Amino acid sequence: MMFFQVSNVFALTRDGDERLERRSALQTLTARESDAIDFFMECDMDTDKGNDAAGRELLQWSQWQLMDSVLPTGGFAHSYGLEAAVQTQFVTSPLDLKPYIVQVLENTGSLLLPFVYCAYISPDIANWSKLDKLLEATLTNEVSRKASASQGSALLRVAASVYLEVPSLKRMRDAYLGSGTAYFHHAPIFGLICGLLGFDSNTCQKMYLFTTMRDVISAATRLNLIGPLGASVLQHQLAPVAERITKKWMDHPVEEACQVAPLLDTVQGLLGHNNVACLPKLRFSSLFALARDGDELLLRRSALQKPTAREIE
Amino acid sequence: MITIAFLLGPPCLGPDWSIDSDPTVDDRKSENGGSPGTDGYRGSCSVSLDSMDGEEEEKKKGRVKVENVGGKSTVTRCFSCYPLKLILPNKAGSSKSDAVWIYALSYGGGIVSGDRISLAISVGDGCTAILTTQASTKVYKSVDSKCSEQILEARVGRDALLAVIPDPVTCFATARYSQKQVFRLYADSSLVLVDWITSGRHESGERWEFDLYRSMNHIYLEEDQPLFIDSVLLDKTSDTSIAERMQGYQVMAMVVISGPKLKDLRHQLQEEVKQMMSARSPNSSRNYHIKSEFQHSPTRLPLIASCSPFGPQVSFKIFTRSLVPGQPPKGIYCSVFTHPCMIYLAPSQALGVVVRIAATTTHSVYMFLKHHLAALEPFLGAAPYCQSGR
Repeated sequence: MMFFQVSNVFALTRDGDERLERRSALQTLTARESDAIDFFMECDMDTDKGNDAAGRELLQWSQWQLMDSVLPTGGFAHSYGLEAAVQTQFVTSPLDLKPYIVQVLENTGSLLLPFVYCAYISPDIANWSKLDKLLEATLTNEVSRKASASQGSALLRVAASVYLEVPSLKRMRDAYLGSGTAYFHHAPIFGLICGLLGFDSNTCQKMYLFTTMRDVISAATRLNLIGPLGASVLQHQLAPVAERITKKWMDHPVEEACQVAPLLDTVQGLLGHNNVACLPKLRFSSLFALARDGDELLLRRSALQKPTAREIE
Repeated sequence: MITIAFLLGPPCLGPDWSIDSDPTVDDRKSENGGSPGTDGYRGSCSVSLDSMDGEEEEKKKGRVKVENVGGKSTVTRCFSCYPLKLILPNKAGSSKSDAVWIYALSYGGGIVSGDRISLAISVGDGCTAILTTQASTKVYKSVDSKCSEQILEARVGRDALLAVIPDPVTCFATARYSQKQVFRLYADSSLVLVDWITSGRHESGERWEFDLYRSMNHIYLEEDQPLFIDSVLLDKTSDTSIAERMQGYQVMAMVVISGPKLKDLRHQLQEEVKQMMSARSPNSSRNYHIKSEFQHSPTRLPLIASCSPFGPQVSFKIFTRSLVPGQPPKGIYCSVFTHPCMIYLAPSQALGVVVRIAATTTHSVYMFLKHHLAALEPFLGAAPYCQSGR
């Protein structure tokens, strides 16, 4: 599978969609991209993705790419309220971090996993549009709502260009972009993409929770609450918790979506007040201006720094 | 949310109160010899656990209808059935304001395990109605894992205002409680909704010891467009206990303000909450006279509030041809931003705002609500939460 130049088109912009749209509209398909389309079209004809073992194995590569933090979906833009929690001293030390992340995962499972699931089982545009509007009303916290919309539209933009074997993604995006009737929230789009690509249900929902865990731990690293190595240790420790939460909240209809951590919601809303970063990606970008590569840069920084006491432990 | 109060003998509500009972109240045969009550209410209904769409449930549903009669908001229908009691005091608000106050109470001082209370309220065009309580809603312990339930369905007409401003729900240890409130609004309807919960008898040490609390608040615009869908679930089956999740806070509150009539209040509230939180420091609570109860985290605030707008951008269009000297302009209405043909005469603003509050004491939240909702007095005839001792 080729990781081609498409990533360069997306990586430089902080302003998201507008500049990207202009650039990609001007560009014609490179030779490599046309080859990629041909490659996937052939695969589509040769394998029956749903049933064939070879098709499933090929799907794994798509799965891993979707979960990779290198995928330019702006996952680093959202701190899941961690920044506000630090400022209001709800999280003051690495000891507070783990319970905070567990609450974020639980709230994600209870509120957002049903949207992922419902978009997954019925990956058509009409259902997606309904779920998108419902999630817009359900995310009553403005900070979460904006972050979800920006992440979702970035994900759709990437998926429409990467997963060319599913042309409906691009069609959908072209139809709804600029219409004002779609918000492109992250959870339904994630479910839709997984459904259209043919992942299985359990994997899709686990992937969603995994990407949430990955992003909030990454934010903790950037906020200097924990070092990169400590973050990896924490992520592994949280795996059984994330598994339990996924099992508890998977396969629920959207009517049962609810918040289980209302205090978290209250704290998350505080971020907007201080105008520190309503869209945190601006601040992160200025601190790590070259961090297209996210973790790589951090690791380089931490390699230069002396290990902290936490990391020694 | 429906309030529960302890009703002792004749209504000791003061000489200005009179109880309007609708002549169309149905007489029901008392199935278990329920008490006749002292105010003319006759009969009682047994509680069944059928689904809400069943005919039995429809009969037991409390109903209030507020309509414009002779230019004044008037209750034209009022029906309630055990365990719900509705009281409509004549002089709750000043006589200058056009608003109907509806108190929802219960027999026996609280909701017992397995009770199911439902109320449907309809506010006609141009009317104002307030639904409130006399005291906090106490939910007693659950027997046989039964869940108590309260359901409110409200329809608010054009240019009408509904304020749901109850006292908090207090669930005692092992209680199981679920409430659902559904509001159907037009684009020019206004709504004030306060929904809050305390941790239990927290002064006695009972803190977040209930088994289940679920609260759903759904606001729909123009019949079926979801505007605000909020659902909170607190139960004991999570990895972390409820008390741990609450981090020492004893009261969680939510205030929703939506609609064109309340634009100024929304703006004012957003500014005040922002100022309050940005001026924060360990001592910023002195305006509210709160002592911090935290031992392990003394720098955490005793009351935190955050504010979020929601809903589509709203613009206003005024029909100037309806202007007659001395009369308010008719036809002021809102249209959703996406219509390109409208003329925008006012800056766009989100349709609603939600404020979420976490606090260590119930009193501090009463003070917050009293202070920040005082601007509702001209609409309601009296300021919400202004009674002393609450």
